[in-house]
Parts: sequence; structure tokens; C-alpha cells
Amino acid sequence: MASSSFPNWKVLPWPAVPIPTPDEVYAGLTDQAKEYPLSLEAQLRQSENFKKPEYLTTVRVLDLTKGMIIGNWCSSMLSELGADTIKAEPPEGDPLRWQTPFGRKEYMFKDVETGEPIGLHFLHEMRNKQSITLNLESPEGRELLKKLAVHVDVLIENYPPGQFDAWGIGYRQLKEINPRLVYCWVGQKGQWGPSKDKPGNLGPTAEASCGFVHGTGLPKEFGGRPTRSAMWMADQVGGTSGAMGILAALLYRNKVSGKGQFIEATAAEAIIRILDYNWGWYGFDGSIRPRYGNWDLAINIYAVNPCKDGYFMVGGGHDRLWYRIWRTVGQTRPDLEDEILDDKSLRMVVARLPHFRQVKTYTILADWQKDHSRADAMHHLLAQQVASGGVNYIDEVAEDPHFKYRGHVDEIDDRLYGKVLYGTTPSLGDKCPGRLKWIGRPLGYDNNDVYLKLLGLGPGEVAALKKRGVV
Amino acid sequence: MATPDFETYCQQLFDHKTASGKPEVLKGYRVLSCTQYILGPSCASYLAELGAEVIKIENPRRGEPMRHTTPFNEPLLFPLSRWVPEAGTGLGFFGANPNEEFITLDFHRPEARQAMLELAAKSDVMVQNFRPGTFDRWGIGYQHFKKVNPRLVYQWLGGFGGWGPGRVRASYDILGQAMGGAFGITGEAADRGGTPAKHTIWLADYWGGMMAAVTILAALYWRDNVSGEGSFIEYSQVHGVTRMLEYALPLYGRYGIRRERWGNWDTELCVHGIIQCGKSSYPGSANPQEAEVGYILVSAYTDEDFKKLCDVIGRKDLATTYAKHDDRVKAENQSIFYGALETWAKDKTKEDVATLLDKAGLNNQPVWNAKEVAEQPHWKMRGAVQWIDDPYFGDLHHQGPAFKMSDTPPRLKWALKPVGADNERVFGRLLGWNKSKLAKMEEAEVI
Repeated sequence: MASSSFPNWKVLPWPAVPIPTPDEVYAGLTDQAKEYPLSLEAQLRQSENFKKPEYLTTVRVLDLTKGMIIGNWCSSMLSELGADTIKAEPPEGDPLRWQTPFGRKEYMFKDVETGEPIGLHFLHEMRNKQSITLNLESPEGRELLKKLAVHVDVLIENYPPGQFDAWGIGYRQLKEINPRLVYCWVGQKGQWGPSKDKPGNLGPTAEASCGFVHGTGLPKEFGGRPTRSAMWMADQVGGTSGAMGILAALLYRNKVSGKGQFIEATAAEAIIRILDYNWGWYGFDGSIRPRYGNWDLAINIYAVNPCKDGYFMVGGGHDRLWYRIWRTVGQTRPDLEDEILDDKSLRMVVARLPHFRQVKTYTILADWQKDHSRADAMHHLLAQQVASGGVNYIDEVAEDPHFKYRGHVDEIDDRLYGKVLYGTTPSLGDKCPGRLKWIGRPLGYDNNDVYLKLLGLGPGEVAALKKRGVV
Repeated sequence: MATPDFETYCQQLFDHKTASGKPEVLKGYRVLSCTQYILGPSCASYLAELGAEVIKIENPRRGEPMRHTTPFNEPLLFPLSRWVPEAGTGLGFFGANPNEEFITLDFHRPEARQAMLELAAKSDVMVQNFRPGTFDRWGIGYQHFKKVNPRLVYQWLGGFGGWGPGRVRASYDILGQAMGGAFGITGEAADRGGTPAKHTIWLADYWGGMMAAVTILAALYWRDNVSGEGSFIEYSQVHGVTRMLEYALPLYGRYGIRRERWGNWDTELCVHGIIQCGKSSYPGSANPQEAEVGYILVSAYTDEDFKKLCDVIGRKDLATTYAKHDDRVKAENQSIFYGALETWAKDKTKEDVATLLDKAGLNNQPVWNAKEVAEQPHWKMRGAVQWIDDPYFGDLHHQGPAFKMSDTPPRLKWALKPVGADNERVFGRLLGWNKSKLAKMEEAEVI
């Protein structure tokens, strides 16, 4: 499986440490104390997912996006909840399909049927989707799209502003063919406005254009720079917001209007929306939100600081927690507890917010943390019911007992790609939980299924289309 | 009439100034929001932007804790409530509660329980983020609500979820980011002097709320079109963050390779990263946010764009040596290009760099601060940020909804209201309380 340039090491199967059993998890609790979590668990356990229906099985989605994760993410939100989702890629494939960290081809997975490689980022967002190929550059491909559009409830695309319209397959034209179609354009900055033609593409572009990057990372004085998210985070949030619009439009279509509509979701505006008080504060007195690293401008204690074996979070935004935190610290370092309690200026919760007082608070807290590992510090603070925990690295995320027990992280034995560890959908439910049915598909794997089923083409016709480069 | 060009068409279709003349997509849906901090409130607020009638229920008098947080304890919106005019609502509350109605109720009290059951019977959605089991203990959990309203969609949100080894743990956004994995992979690598970094927005909260809103809408779709039944939904914040880790888990699962921090560059594309420019765009500004040197995202990862970039910075040699993306994106090579770019940008502002790259037709994006974003004609025209005339607090500068809809646009009606501002309206209209009952409840501090 691994190529020759790969180090020859043995990887233990996941999970390396067994998943705890219910008896272990609820050991020592009274029957009464057990009752609530066990009743919840009975309703929500993910091993029961496949016995339940799905919210969106009556919805069909056509995802035509390429080269930006925002589209894949948007359709994932729907496919995880049961929508029949078709990803239509250009005949050469969505460029994301071939991307792999640091260009390392050996990281890519191969499916058992075609042996075609697939990048893991793309694979993780191909969940529950079928793959077809469709060449929109060719007039014949565009005619094919018009035929497909009749059969879908939702269409998602991210081509340059106006491209589909110029091709005769934009919202204006498709709504004549299928008035019930919900048409969603996704992108970085939008289809109109003075900067629409300077969209940039992918991940951090939107993050930089909305104030997020400026505000993330340590301040200059602490040796920091403006910092992007490791993920193409703005695309993820933008894609989620697009899915919200799509579902609202479907509700309205079925209940009120009988008609679809046009939705526009951008990565940058989704982040602007969730940049909490940035805009209110700027309007208030012209304040430009500064970077504040791993501390918080509005809450103290609420921070990540170094500890013995990594980085550690402690949170307590009100007085009761404040004293519990220092009581915990005082167990091993009474000098530090005294130093805090002796400072009259720290007694009021709001008085702890000015920068110099935050410096004092966290300097003292970090003095205690430096002698404690993440697990150790957490043990002490949880005993006082203080929200706290370590910064987890990926191996720790994969092996966290809570995550494994609840199935936040799970492994699928995929028919095509074998065992794949992945992040599960966080929508648990008693009726229709989100779930993973398959992790991905090779390029054009479902051409026959989809074109035969939806358009009534024969296998020969699909082969001919393929020969002409239409699919 | 001639068909307008596509851009004009879109602008007319999506103009936020015309939104108030169009119908609201969730009109007729009623949502109860027993939420605090950001995760739960933001979830309800997305539904409020879409036109649902969202009734936010807070503790009498002081309201929820987020009203008492604000950056450096400076900006506040007065009054907090009619009972406490001398205090204000902090901006921590801002952005997570627009378009909602605000009532108060002390959930512990038996009178409150009765009111809650009556409200639940008349609602479509319930959102709450108290500790797991608390509402059940008070007799207002899902098991109680579904008896009075089997069509109710009940969304619980919180840190770790109500079952499993970590069920009793409290959580905050920052802890969700830390435990879920996004924190550990963001920020500069240790060998470049970096540490793990928090996403500065309360990402796990605000995006988590959005995820829950998506699920609620799907549950309503299923209820109204398929089953007629409500549902119970559980969203755990740490779970959500783990969903966002891209290739990290499949890579770890099969090869045992742990994704690490890669700072402002990109692991999958090169050149596609943020560089430092040597000069500030506002030299001499008294505001340290402006006096700082500029940063810009440079994106030129295709062979063609990379060649152009090398021309612009006078390093044609790099275009020859590293003609293939597979070579450029290698971990050991990336610093060569970003180093060359920062050397070239040493005597430039971010605008200088942007101008030169624009001229060459190369993708770039200066790192804008809050002021620069707020003053961008593009964002102003699109209503991404807008000044509103708030009925309670006057002129406020506010973010617009996250996305646009042609026929039933989400919209911003008001930013927030004081604690208990809608008590009379909601209890009177929905529960038929008259003035004397309201006064009695207020005196008993039930509301």
C-alpha cells in the first residue's frame, strides 16, 4: 500500500487503546445518576444510526463546484443528512481531488476497483456523494446539464461570476427549465460588487479579506504575526451558511411558494457575520480589534498558556470559578494563590480585563501550569468543576476516550477505499442522525448510474459521450 | 426592456436595502431559545435572521452572562434593562442575538415550568444549552416537551454532549478548539518560533451554532414534508471542531502521521501563503494596529502564475529550478519562495505589493484589519457590514447576514434588546397573561 519512498514503520490499527465500555464509563454512579446519561445514550448512540431514517432523503443535490472546498463542504452538509448528492466534476476531475499535503503522492489513497489515487482532503469531503463527469466547456455538456437540472432540487456552483449565465446555464435560464430549483452560488467574495473580479480563491484568501487573519495570532510584542487558520476555515463556514440558505429555501418552496430561488454564499461574508463584536466596536469608537493571541479581550480567565507537556486551557469567566481556580493552584502553590488573593484590584470580575492585569493573572497561572502536565492540571481543575483541558494533537484527538466512545472519530471500512479514519457528522439525533454511508468515489464512478437513471440514456450513449469528451 | 447584464441583475436581486420589502423565509416558525454565551444564542439568531419568531428567555434582571462581557470592559449599550438602567449590555452579546424577542423567566420556579410548557406547546423549535439533564430535572426537558408538542424540534447544544466519559465537563469555545484539534494545528511551527493558535473568533461557538441551525432546518423539512414528527438533536462543540480537520484524521489513521502546524503557508498549495511586507501602510499612526507592518496573501501556485510571480520579484531562476508544483509544495522547499517574497517586499507596503501583483494578474489579498474591512466599498455595497438605526440603541455598526437569498432574504432588523423587553408582548399575546398577572409574576421574580 505504501510506496517505496515511505518509511517502513508499523502502524497500529485504530483505536490503539480500546474504546471504554458503558460499565467503565458509568462505574461508581448510583442508578439514579446513571439514568439520564443512559437514557440519552439509548436515543443517540451512533451504532443505531442505520436503523433510523434520514432527514433529507427526498432531496437531490447536484454539486458542480471545483477547486474550492466551500462547494464540497456545502454539499457535504446536505449529503451527511441524507440528501442524494451528485458531485459533477470536469472530465479531468476537480483539481482538489489530486491535491495532497506537500505533494506527497504516497499519502493518497487508492480505491480497490480502479486504483486511481485520491487526495485525503477531497476524500474527507466526498462523503455520501456520487461522482459523475460533465464537461461544461462543451455545448453538449451544457445541454446535458439542462437535462440534469430538471431532476434536482438543489444546484451548487462556484464558477467565476457570470460564467454560467454567459453559458446559458445560469440561474436566469435554469429557473425557466425548473422553476422549483434552488440555485446556490458559492465563492470567496461574491458575484457582484467592486471587488468581485478580484476574488482570490481557496481558503485563506477570504480569511485575510474579512479581518480574521489580522485578529488571529499573538500580538507583535509577544513575537506573533497575523495568522491564518490551518484549515480552509472560511470555506467551511461559508459552505455551512450556504447549506442553511438552501434548506430554508427548500422549506419555503414546499410550504409557501412552490418556487426555488437564487442563493449566494461567500466565505468572507460568513466570517464577517461571525466576527462577533468587531464591527460594533469599530462603529462605537473606531477601535480596531487587536490580536490577542491565546487570551481573550472580553473574558479573564479564558486562555491557553504553556504547561509542562504542551498547552493548556483554563476558563472561568465569573467569580465563583475564579476562586475555585486559585484554590486549585493553592493546593500545590499557596504562594501563588496568596499573590492573587492579596491583590485588591483583581477582586471584581470586570477589573481583571485591562491588559496589564491579564498579564499578571496569566503569568501567575502559567507559573503553576509549568509544573503540571495537561492531564495532571486537568485532573486537579476538573475536581473543582473548572472548564479546562489540553490542546490536543491529532493523535490525541483520534484516541480521546470521550470522542471514541461517542463516535466523534470513527473508522469506516469502505467498500472502495478500505479502512478510513474520519471526523463524523456532529448532528446526533433520536430520529434522523447524520451518518457516513461511504467515504468517496473515484472520478466518474457513477456516470452510468446517474445518466442512465436520471436521463434515461443507454450505456452505449454514455460511452459515446465519454468518447466525445462530454463526460 | 433589455435584459440587464448579470452583475446588475445580481445586484438588484440581492441588494440588502430592498430586503425589507420581501417575504421572510421562516415566517410562521416560532423558536424558543434558552441559551447563553455564544454557541446556543448564535444558533437561534441565524433562524431569527431568516424571519423565525425567536423568543430568547433569560434570567430575570441580569440576563444571560454574555451581556456582561465586553472587550477590555469598555463598550456597553445602555440600559441593561428597565430594572437596571445604570448598567449596560456588553458587546460580547453583540452579533449573537439579532432580531430576537427578549423575555425573562426563572426556570427553577413551578410557575415558570407551567409557562415553559405552554410556550413549548406553541413553538416549532426549542434551542437550549444548559448542562445536560438540568432542564429534565426541572421538568422542562425534551421528555416533558414532547408530550405537550410531538412536533417540536428540540436542539441541545454544548461542549461534550450529555453522555460518555466527558459528559459532565463544561466547555467554552476555546476549549472546543483546543480539545477538538483545530487549535493544535493552527499557528506557526515550533521551529519558526510559533505556538498553537486560537482562531480569534469564537469559531467553535459561532460555527457550531450554524451547524445546529442547519440540522434544525433539515429536521423541520422532514417534519413538514415527510413525517409530521419532531426530533431531539444533540450537538457537541468538540465534535464539530473534529469534523473540520480536513485530511488530518485519514492521514493519521492509515499512516500514523500526525498533522502539525504550518503557520501562514499552505500544506497543499505553494505559493499560497501570507507574507510580511517591510513597511506599514500608516507610518506614524498612533494606533499600534496601524503602525504595524503590513501582511499580504500571495497566491500563485499554478505553473503559469508562479512563473509570472518570479518575473515580478526578479527571481526568474526560481521559475526554472522549481518549474513543477510537486517540487514547490515540498515541505523542505516552501521557505525558499516565501523567503524570496519577503526579501522583495521589505521596502514595500501591502498596497505596493498588491498593486504590483494586480498588474501581473496575480491573485493576492492584503490582510485587512477591522477598519479596512469596514471601509471596503465592496463589503459596504453588499451589506456585509452596515449601519442600522436600532430601535433601542440608535446608530449601530453591524454585520449583515452570512448569505443572500433572492426571494426571501435573511435580514437584520435590530441588534438586541434590553433584558425582558418583550415580557408584556410575549406573555400577554401567547399565554394570555393580563397586567395584574404580569405584575404578580414580576413581583415574585418569576419574570
